[in-house]
Amino acid sequence: MDNSQLTTINKDDLLLEVTDLKKHFPIRKGLIRRSTGTVKAVDGVNLFVKKGETLGLVGESGCGKTTAGRTIIRLLNPTGGTIRFNDPKKGWVNLEKMERKELAEIRPHMQIIFQDPFSSLDPRMTVQRIVAEPLLINKIASGQELQDRVAELLRIVGMRPEYMSRYPHAFSGGQRQRIGIARALALNPKLIICDEPVSALDVSIQAQVLNLLEDLQKDFELTYIFVAHDLSVVEHISDRVAVMYVGRLVELASTDKLYYSPKHPYSEALMAAVPKPDPRRRDRPIKLPGEVASPANPPSGCYFHPRCRYAKEICSKETPKLLEVEPEHYAACHFANELKLRGVLG
Amino acid sequence: MNQTTESVKDKTGSIFEGEDIIIKVRDLHTYFFTDLGVARALNGVNFDIPRGKVMGVVGESGCGKSVTALSILRMVAKPGKIVKGDIQYFRRKFGPDGKEFNEAINLTKLEGMGPEMRSIRGAQMSMIFQEPMTSLNPSYTIGDQIMEAIILHQKVDNVEAEKRAVAILDGVGMANPKLIVKRYPHELSGGMRQRAMISLALSCTPAVLFADEPTTALDVTTEAQILDLMRELQKNINMTIVFITHNLGVVAQMCDYVSVMYLGRVVEQAPVDDIYYNPKHPYTSSLLRSIPHVGSGQKERLQPIRGVVPDPYSKIKGCPFHPRCDQAMRGLCDVKVPGVTMVDKGHSVRCFLHSDVEEESNGQ
Repeated sequence: MDNSQLTTINKDDLLLEVTDLKKHFPIRKGLIRRSTGTVKAVDGVNLFVKKGETLGLVGESGCGKTTAGRTIIRLLNPTGGTIRFNDPKKGWVNLEKMERKELAEIRPHMQIIFQDPFSSLDPRMTVQRIVAEPLLINKIASGQELQDRVAELLRIVGMRPEYMSRYPHAFSGGQRQRIGIARALALNPKLIICDEPVSALDVSIQAQVLNLLEDLQKDFELTYIFVAHDLSVVEHISDRVAVMYVGRLVELASTDKLYYSPKHPYSEALMAAVPKPDPRRRDRPIKLPGEVASPANPPSGCYFHPRCRYAKEICSKETPKLLEVEPEHYAACHFANELKLRGVLG
Repeated sequence: MNQTTESVKDKTGSIFEGEDIIIKVRDLHTYFFTDLGVARALNGVNFDIPRGKVMGVVGESGCGKSVTALSILRMVAKPGKIVKGDIQYFRRKFGPDGKEFNEAINLTKLEGMGPEMRSIRGAQMSMIFQEPMTSLNPSYTIGDQIMEAIILHQKVDNVEAEKRAVAILDGVGMANPKLIVKRYPHELSGGMRQRAMISLALSCTPAVLFADEPTTALDVTTEAQILDLMRELQKNINMTIVFITHNLGVVAQMCDYVSVMYLGRVVEQAPVDDIYYNPKHPYTSSLLRSIPHVGSGQKERLQPIRGVVPDPYSKIKGCPFHPRCDQAMRGLCDVKVPGVTMVDKGHSVRCFLHSDVEEESNGQ
């Protein structure tokens, strides 16, 4: 997908545009830590995010979805590609090569919620300090005003402000995740990367946090990139979904299209594998032979071809491009137009 | 409700009429005596596990799912202790006349680390743990670990044990089993490690397999393959599986019967179809309403269960679920503990909405 294909979408409606994003990590060995190869964790990701939407980013462990999320907000420095962000004041800006100082001005618009509510909060800080920190760093509030703002943020995420002098250990997993969300909201961000925000929580608590995220999105016009491996949760919360496999985007479409009529064989296998909470609908999974390819030593051509049941000769030779096969339905497969793939309903 | 009074009076009677029961748990209490106080992990667990079936045990963290399995296997370590209750294991045996019969063994009466329990554990009952990386020994090869179990329980030499280990690994769909036996756990991927773990658990073809969140740490496609494998193995050797998980999707796909646990008690036990289409306990229906139903096409709001699971140190008066229950009846649910009631064939529930039977062993 290159930018010329985005003509159907009004640029003003977009918040983020990522082109050919790459993040490679060197493999270092020996005494002098010589680089002996690279792990291509993210290897050419193209996507765009609309204002106010939730874009689900799914894939199996090691596919680079977390790295992609972190690179997009420059928590990691990209190896290549462009990241364009639609700043509410400055308009479109390129993030990929931005210097520290400039980045500090953009950062308040982009926040992140982490997976593990136990390790993402400093155990030696009180809840008040944790939530106040972004406000202090950006010199937005101090004194009583700061206190009030923290209390308000805690109320917004459904916690009692009286608890703000406590330390994280005194809270349950769901409450800690709420604290993390309050911290992310402190600076009125536009974009929040939700990196597996509910996967460490029990089902009943998971529902509370998902509902909270949905409410906040409405109230504060937030845009989410929702990184997760739980496909049921992603279907519930996302407007559109991007599927990654070994560092590349293989499919990007609206949630319904992706779940009910996928265009990439890997998405099909994922959909067939989701355990449906209905004993009257038991279906056999699609067998994927072999293991997920290593991003340090990926196969030739389409990375998925050694495991794909539809693979033909061309698949091992040419890398398929992410193309628009139907309006706003992008897939990177040589046969995306020909294959009849089954969705989540089998 | 003649049936009701009967099932309550006759505490040892099975809720499954006509089913061959392999494990019968009655009024099981397992407590942990910690410095913070007594954690009542199991507070009177009652259930039956039918032979050759897959029984799901579901509930949120801290409800006692894993402790139930550990109690049955007699692996509860200090400061935990089984303080009360019975666990009957009906071992299938051949009599001198060649006829099959079930020998009843009360596992709570055996010494946890004694010779009888050790001959049962690993051979007739085994367990798959959630995290294959931490439950396999990192300093022994996969082959060594499987062979250890085989040699311990069967009279075979090293060569034969290795042959069997290779055969089992092959049976669980591991590519190149001859190479894998020489590998260490860290050399395998998550899915392969879980297959190795399953091989280890199956090495002596157990009658009962406890699987404690066996696929929680795995990716969906790998999870689907492991579930498929377990289903196949279960059919082929008519194994009984106790499948512990919090994932209601996995339960729907895998299980024949389901026990729903809350705060150390089984609040509902029923055939899988009834749990999803005709749940009786408010906790079961709330759990189902709180999860996104993939493929339903509905984008409606999830309905979380209000409040949180209370910590196991606290003592709740009345039904343990009443503070979170929308249908709680004042003056009843907050005072008395409901007893086990049969509502249908194979379907039992502990809730005053369905009967006014009280728990017998109330007040301890």
